[in-house]
Amino acid sequence: MFSEFAALIVLLPVIAFVLTLFLGKKLYSGGALLPIAAIAGSFIISVGIFLEIFPNDGMVQQSFPWFAGMNIGILIDPLAVVMLMMVTFVSLLIHIYAVGYMSHDPARPRYFAETSLFTAAMLSVVLSDNILQFFISWELVGLCSFLLIGFWYHKPSAAAAAKKAFLVTRVGDVLFLAGIVLLYVNMKLLVDNGTLVMESQSFILQFKTMFEAIPLIDGTQLTYVTLLFFGGAIGKSGQFPLHGWLPDAMEGPTTVSALIHAATMVTAGVYLVARTFPMFVATPSTISTGVPDSLLIVTYVGGFTALFAATMGLVMNDIKRVLAYSTVSQLGYMMLALGTAGTVLGAKAVGISMFHLISHAFFKALLFLCAGSVIHAVGTNDIREMGGLFSKMKITATTMLIAALALAGFGLPFEGLGIPIMNIGTAGFFSKDAIIEGALEYGEVTHDMVPYGFAIIAALLTSIYIFRLWFMTFTGKPRSERHSHESPGVMTGPLMILAIFALLFGFSQAGFYGYVEKNFELMDVKIAVHEGEAFHPSAFVILLPVIVGVLGLLISYLIYNRRRINMSKLVSSGNPLYKLLYNRYYEPKLGADIIGVKLTHDVVAQSGEFIDRKIIDGLVIDNIISNTLLRLGEIVRKLQTGVVQNYASVTIFGIALLLILLKLTFGGP
Amino acid sequence: MSLYSYLLISIIIFTIGVYGIITQRSGIKILMCIELLLNSANLNLVAFSSYNGNATGQVFAIFSIAIAAAEAAIGFAILVALFRLKDTINLDNINILRW
Repeated sequence: MFSEFAALIVLLPVIAFVLTLFLGKKLYSGGALLPIAAIAGSFIISVGIFLEIFPNDGMVQQSFPWFAGMNIGILIDPLAVVMLMMVTFVSLLIHIYAVGYMSHDPARPRYFAETSLFTAAMLSVVLSDNILQFFISWELVGLCSFLLIGFWYHKPSAAAAAKKAFLVTRVGDVLFLAGIVLLYVNMKLLVDNGTLVMESQSFILQFKTMFEAIPLIDGTQLTYVTLLFFGGAIGKSGQFPLHGWLPDAMEGPTTVSALIHAATMVTAGVYLVARTFPMFVATPSTISTGVPDSLLIVTYVGGFTALFAATMGLVMNDIKRVLAYSTVSQLGYMMLALGTAGTVLGAKAVGISMFHLISHAFFKALLFLCAGSVIHAVGTNDIREMGGLFSKMKITATTMLIAALALAGFGLPFEGLGIPIMNIGTAGFFSKDAIIEGALEYGEVTHDMVPYGFAIIAALLTSIYIFRLWFMTFTGKPRSERHSHESPGVMTGPLMILAIFALLFGFSQAGFYGYVEKNFELMDVKIAVHEGEAFHPSAFVILLPVIVGVLGLLISYLIYNRRRINMSKLVSSGNPLYKLLYNRYYEPKLGADIIGVKLTHDVVAQSGEFIDRKIIDGLVIDNIISNTLLRLGEIVRKLQTGVVQNYASVTIFGIALLLILLKLTFGGP
Repeated sequence: MSLYSYLLISIIIFTIGVYGIITQRSGIKILMCIELLLNSANLNLVAFSSYNGNATGQVFAIFSIAIAAAEAAIGFAILVALFRLKDTINLDNINILRW
């Protein structure tokens, strides 16, 4: 019964967007209740649909013809329904939290309207049953992120960050669009020469038609298409080399950061790869033995990003920037999971990656909201000015500790060690261990241990930077005189709910994998899996992710809490490595100064200006065309007397002339 | 009288109206000339209606009269506003729509 209302999942927040935008000023708290109610409605419908389709492995499919062989439709399969529940739930909590967090902002109606539209756009991405609709919603997500990052547009840094986010993701979006066009051309060819037979009620860019066409499309073309899609995912999910916009996106309100980094936007890239996963798996293998080309690239980009972003997270002093790099790094893990596990485990990779995506959404939203709570209380983003907040903000500190433990992947892997007790751990433990294990198995099968190395080192760095953040914020002596207090209940409530999920969500692992794995079977897509003997790593290998997590905690404890190790030598502008990390590998400099100023402005724009002004305008237009026209105009404009009667006379004269001509030409009585 | 006579009168009224619009300088007179144009058309409608034994033309004429009334009201309102602004309704002096 809920399935019939699937379209409302998107439409409710859209309605809330319109109402809040126009009526928000007159309503309580800038109209916050409208989006909250709408998203709660979407959440209820999503859960209802889940309960309907879960027992009998069903799907919801609705489709309407649109134009030129395209359609507009809804597809809710296991992959989509878990995303729907996560997006609506996390977004709902963030909206509730924002009532407290944004309580002093005069532009609240605009804020709540935009976040509502943002959520709607993301839900529309998740629900799409064809790649074109997916792309349109995807662009809408990009637009909303631009509006929200630049929410405080009067701040120049926020306006610049919004512009950067928009332009950098645009690079990916263009690639994505090119991929869609290339795919369409290929499929249209197949349809025209009769190789691909279209059933009635199916459309050319629908996901199910795309998957049917996979075996028919030329392998090289398929590689191009998937890599172009992945280009879009790189832009949206902040993977190397298009990661630069994500940390800058911290200029928006913290709740927006939480929304972008946990529930919406950045997960869209991972979702795109998961959605079109059968295409990635089906690409031919030319570079390395047994690994599909596209998956190999996904693996390396993801693994490298996981490590690369973690190194920068180590040295940032802005509490939100640390978390931003953490997000980039964790998204790298998700890509890594799709690549490595996709090679060795087939469809299970989607389960592993989506599980990390959702558990990450819980603890990352929690981390951001805790950071927001701290910023709200202290009034600064700089962790060097915080410290000793534990006694003043007990709830925030505890929930943030839980989130940090989840991010670092703390837990006890009893099962892997042969002890007949269930694994116990935080959500991140279950989800991240599966990824690292997948990378290890990939290494065993393909004899390429590099991705595993990326994953393990990044896990160590993750643990160090997140506990550094926690220790510097909540322990030690206050490093500045600031009046701080615990946040109100409307803010701590969502923190506690998210903390429960960050702790307990991991236990749904087996059921989650089983359910999401079936996704592509339901669509009759076969994913080949590497055959190999069962994989039994040694106890040390199983314990390694947990060991590096604890190691990171210890290192951070010694440095930032006990102050046993003096870091002043390392952390100084004289240390080239520190400088490199602190300047973010000179990526902003490279992007803004070299590509932006030197290349685009000095070379392209200047030479363009020279050609335009001096040659085209100067020689051709000025001398010949425009001067003649100007002189002609001087003469002709005298005809416009401004006296209406002159115009009327000319009109009447003209009509009379016309009538006489008609009479002479055609004759008549 | 035959249809021809009605049409002749109609043409005469129409021509007077056109002449007035082109030659007169006062806004009010021009509006009156426009009324002449409209009414010559009405006369045409009624004449043909009677000639064909069909009421449609007469109904149309009534509509046309109603619209002419509205048009006159707006036209005079514009002239009043114009007079307040420029202290004249002589159209020779109202020629800002030019080069």
